[in-house]
Amino acid sequence: MLLEVKDLQKQFNGHQVLDGVDLQIHQGEVLVIIGPSGSGKTTLLRNLNFLEHADSGTMHFADQTIDLGKPSKQQVQWVRRHTAMVFQNYNLFKNKTAQQNIAEGLIYGHGVDAKTANQKAAQALKNLGLYDRRHYFPTQLSGGQQQRIGIARATVLKPEVVLFDEPTSALDPELVGTVLKDMQRLAENGQTMVVVTHQMWFARNVASRVAFFADGQIQEIGKPADIFDHPQKQRTKQFLNALADNY
Amino acid sequence: MNSQKILSVIWRGFPNTLTLLIWSFIFATILGLALTWLDLRKNRFARGIATVYLNLVRGTPPLLMLLMAYYGLPVLLKAIGIDIDHWTRMTFGVLGLTLGWSGYLSEAFRSAYLSVDRGQIEAARSVGMPDRTTFWQIIIPQAAMIALPNIENLVVGLVKATSLVYVIGLYDLYNQASNLSNQTAGLHQLQIFVLLALTYWLLVLVIEALFRLIRRRYRQMI
Repeated sequence: MLLEVKDLQKQFNGHQVLDGVDLQIHQGEVLVIIGPSGSGKTTLLRNLNFLEHADSGTMHFADQTIDLGKPSKQQVQWVRRHTAMVFQNYNLFKNKTAQQNIAEGLIYGHGVDAKTANQKAAQALKNLGLYDRRHYFPTQLSGGQQQRIGIARATVLKPEVVLFDEPTSALDPELVGTVLKDMQRLAENGQTMVVVTHQMWFARNVASRVAFFADGQIQEIGKPADIFDHPQKQRTKQFLNALADNY
Repeated sequence: MNSQKILSVIWRGFPNTLTLLIWSFIFATILGLALTWLDLRKNRFARGIATVYLNLVRGTPPLLMLLMAYYGLPVLLKAIGIDIDHWTRMTFGVLGLTLGWSGYLSEAFRSAYLSVDRGQIEAARSVGMPDRTTFWQIIIPQAAMIALPNIENLVVGLVKATSLVYVIGLYDLYNQASNLSNQTAGLHQLQIFVLLALTYWLLVLVIEALFRLIRRRYRQMI
């Protein structure tokens, strides 16, 4: 097992958003988290790399054990260096070009020299077919291009786990496919991924496991076919039925 | 009296106007950044200092700032044994304008800093960028671009405010013109002041062109 979280608790203004979450992430797996909006999926993801700080809980990550309620600065920095996040709104650095966006994390977060970092960034852009856009600023790129660069920015760091927070929900429908293809390619290359998404096609076809998350807890977790075709919990059935009614 | 003669007299004040503008802007920027830093501290005492200063500055006319700097500060400092009587009028002029514009600039800096998308900071943290690097590499450049239109307005305001230094007897563009008008017993008053207005307008046009250049250079960033 690569990463394990036990009894993760998080409150916002007295409202229990994460209510004792237990989660295990295995090396090389794609764990997709689905569930209703506002149920705490994003908060769970943000707690995994300390963009939010949990009230309590424990994390075992590689050989480290971290008290999530009181992590040290070094532990926070260590986790951030071994994970990477892809954001719903891309969050590319607005004052940096496409290439700089990919290189900056290597230079300032991982101590890679600028020349090597820029070579890696350029190669990543070539792999995406976006090398001719390397000097473009985010405002000059489409949403799909921005998100693909956001994914490259995360994966160029060679993180143990990439966390995806609804990576396609801000995109035009016609751009969703290219981003999902990049993610699928990553999964095929053995990248460990945790993906919060409403893209059920991705959950069914790419995920190793699917977790249904509601009311601050993982209600049910299993192989995609088990969750989608034979859900055990009433809450999961309700959610999937509601989805089916919409299509 | 022909226009060329009038302009040659008025333009004798230009070096003083330019000196006032440049040094006041530089010092006001430094002081404004320090005030913003204090204002954004968690420490209530630091925030308190910034709040009192900003409120005082906002509530006081720039003319009064100049008068207080020129007449009040030497008296105040003499009381604690510091003699600044030998300071030039230019120094007091720069000081008076700096006091006022540091407050206005600080407000522009603060609102720009707070306008930087928090997602940018989260993205920097998520790639392991230390907070100090995030501040200098991501937040400051973006905040500067956001603040630019406000800074431009304040510089244009500062150009016009330099004309207030006549109250401390400093010969800038306005004081040269006013003096010329008095010497000619108001005979060419309208002609003198129209030419003065055109001079200020020209100066503002140059400043606007400079800011336009900066905006054009970095327009893709925001």
